[in-house]
Amino acid sequence: MNDSLPALLQGLIGWLADPAHWQGSNGVLERGLEHIFYMMVSTLIGAAIALPIGIGLGHSGRGGLLAINLTNIGRAVPSFGVIIFVFLLVGYGVIPVIVALVALAIPPMVTNSFVGMRGVDPAIRQAATAVGMTPWQRLLQVELPIAMPLIMAGVRTSAVQVMSTATLAAYVGLGGLGRYLIDGLAVRDLVQVLVGAVLVAILAVATELLFAGLQRLVTARGLRHD
Amino acid sequence: MTTAAARQRTQHAAQDSHAIVFDTVSKRYPDGTVAVEALDLTLPAGELTVLVGPSGCGKTTTLRMINRLETLSSGCIRIGDRDVMESDATQLRRHIGYVMQHSGLFPHQTIADNIATVPRLLKWPKSRITARVEELVELVGLDAGLIRRYPHQLSGGQQQRVGLARALAADPPILLMDEPFAAVDPIVRTHLQDELLRLQARMGKTIVLVTHDIDEAMKLGDRIAIFNQNGRIAQFDTPTRLLAAPADEFVVDFIGADRELRRLALQQLDPEEIDPGVHVAGSATVGDARTRLQQAGSSGVVVLDEAHRPLGWLDWERLRQADGLSRIEQLELTPWRHRLHERTNLRSALNALISAPGDVMPVVDDDGRYLGVISQVQLTRRLS
Repeated sequence: MNDSLPALLQGLIGWLADPAHWQGSNGVLERGLEHIFYMMVSTLIGAAIALPIGIGLGHSGRGGLLAINLTNIGRAVPSFGVIIFVFLLVGYGVIPVIVALVALAIPPMVTNSFVGMRGVDPAIRQAATAVGMTPWQRLLQVELPIAMPLIMAGVRTSAVQVMSTATLAAYVGLGGLGRYLIDGLAVRDLVQVLVGAVLVAILAVATELLFAGLQRLVTARGLRHD
Repeated sequence: MTTAAARQRTQHAAQDSHAIVFDTVSKRYPDGTVAVEALDLTLPAGELTVLVGPSGCGKTTTLRMINRLETLSSGCIRIGDRDVMESDATQLRRHIGYVMQHSGLFPHQTIADNIATVPRLLKWPKSRITARVEELVELVGLDAGLIRRYPHQLSGGQQQRVGLARALAADPPILLMDEPFAAVDPIVRTHLQDELLRLQARMGKTIVLVTHDIDEAMKLGDRIAIFNQNGRIAQFDTPTRLLAAPADEFVVDFIGADRELRRLALQQLDPEEIDPGVHVAGSATVGDARTRLQQAGSSGVVVLDEAHRPLGWLDWERLRQADGLSRIEQLELTPWRHRLHERTNLRSALNALISAPGDVMPVVDDDGRYLGVISQVQLTRRLS
């Protein structure tokens, strides 16, 4: 086996050029979709948990420090550890992976949505109350639109992190692009390892770009100071 | 005639129902701080009342208790005969305009949407909202082209105008203004103050305005409540009476050392005091002017142009040296730096007179035409 860089790159291109590698249950398309599926499900569940917490705390202005500290502790827990731990608890399946990825997705979204909500100028919050908005109207018509860019930045950070970390799914026998990495390492097929790494990187960058666009889309025009 | 009278009567009745009455109102914070103590105050309907005092005197708290942004600890506030604490806070606020120091505009909404806030909350039909926004933009003197812009694209003064338009959108009978002009520069502030007075002359709303600036209070207030540091009212009176009969040392200090000058600012020239003066047309000859002057025994003469507007002052010495056959307008005249309008206040008159040539100032009407002169001697007699 030739491990030199030019040879590896040549191998990579050759591998990708082979149509057989794109089809079937171990093909790039199937593995890529699995990978994206892990990312989407985990980010969505994470958002469903994190955003109400961050937005609620930011809206009421209470308990923020606690929430941010807790999520920061959460950040310190290694995702691989979580996978193994939940794997031991519930056994084989997609759940350990999703749990670990959700845990990874939550902290940036809690922190960002809290900070975004707290960042709304108190004078503007007060103005909303003074013109006769109910607390819900204030939240939906004033605070959320103003906090939206930061909230979306949190979602974007989470999505990108989850996209790269979803590689770990392969460790517990599941699919995703991590398969190429794990399997390649097992048989010392470096070309296959490289294929996995490059594809994950491409997906992560694509996620970053997609969510950056999304963030711009949800930012009210009056808040774009460009 | 009868309908006009009837309309006026209903208007009065409506206004009376919007007087704001404070009945032994106190506000204490949980930490024991007393912001307002046993406040009794009636803010008459249709008038602009200014709450003024040093910082921390409770004037803003007092304002904010009216629309329940602050809850009172004891006592009661009534608007007409309704206790504010018994009304629904949200509904109450939709019928009370609120203008704050920094405009408090919603940055993510266009100017039009900002102005439309309360009508939207009140679920007005779209067409009515659009029409109302257009009307308001004109009312507060904004350029109609601005309504599609966003707040950060406007100057501070423009933002304050939008803030006022938003507060007036649903035509509330009451308007609360919390230091509305404090964050704009002095020139814009003067302008906005004048506009507010002009609007109020048309609208006749019950306005409560908080400021720490006694000049602003004197200029804007039909009545002024001066708060002392203990959250109590030192005096509640019209500007004229505050100046003429300050209740105590605190009020005297607060109004400041130039109290007499401020009094002058509240008094207008009396038409009776305007002296016809000695005046000649620019086309007259020096000889004519000399004759006129000698007959009147004055030290100089006001020269007018063909439209009867004052051109300048010509004193006896210069007249005496000139050639008797030449025309007045060929001589060098001393112009005035100010023109006194017939409705000018005495403070401005005195100020103008200090630098006036010949110790007299011409007084003009709306079209700038000469009415007569006012002299330092006359004004001093009036002051003593």
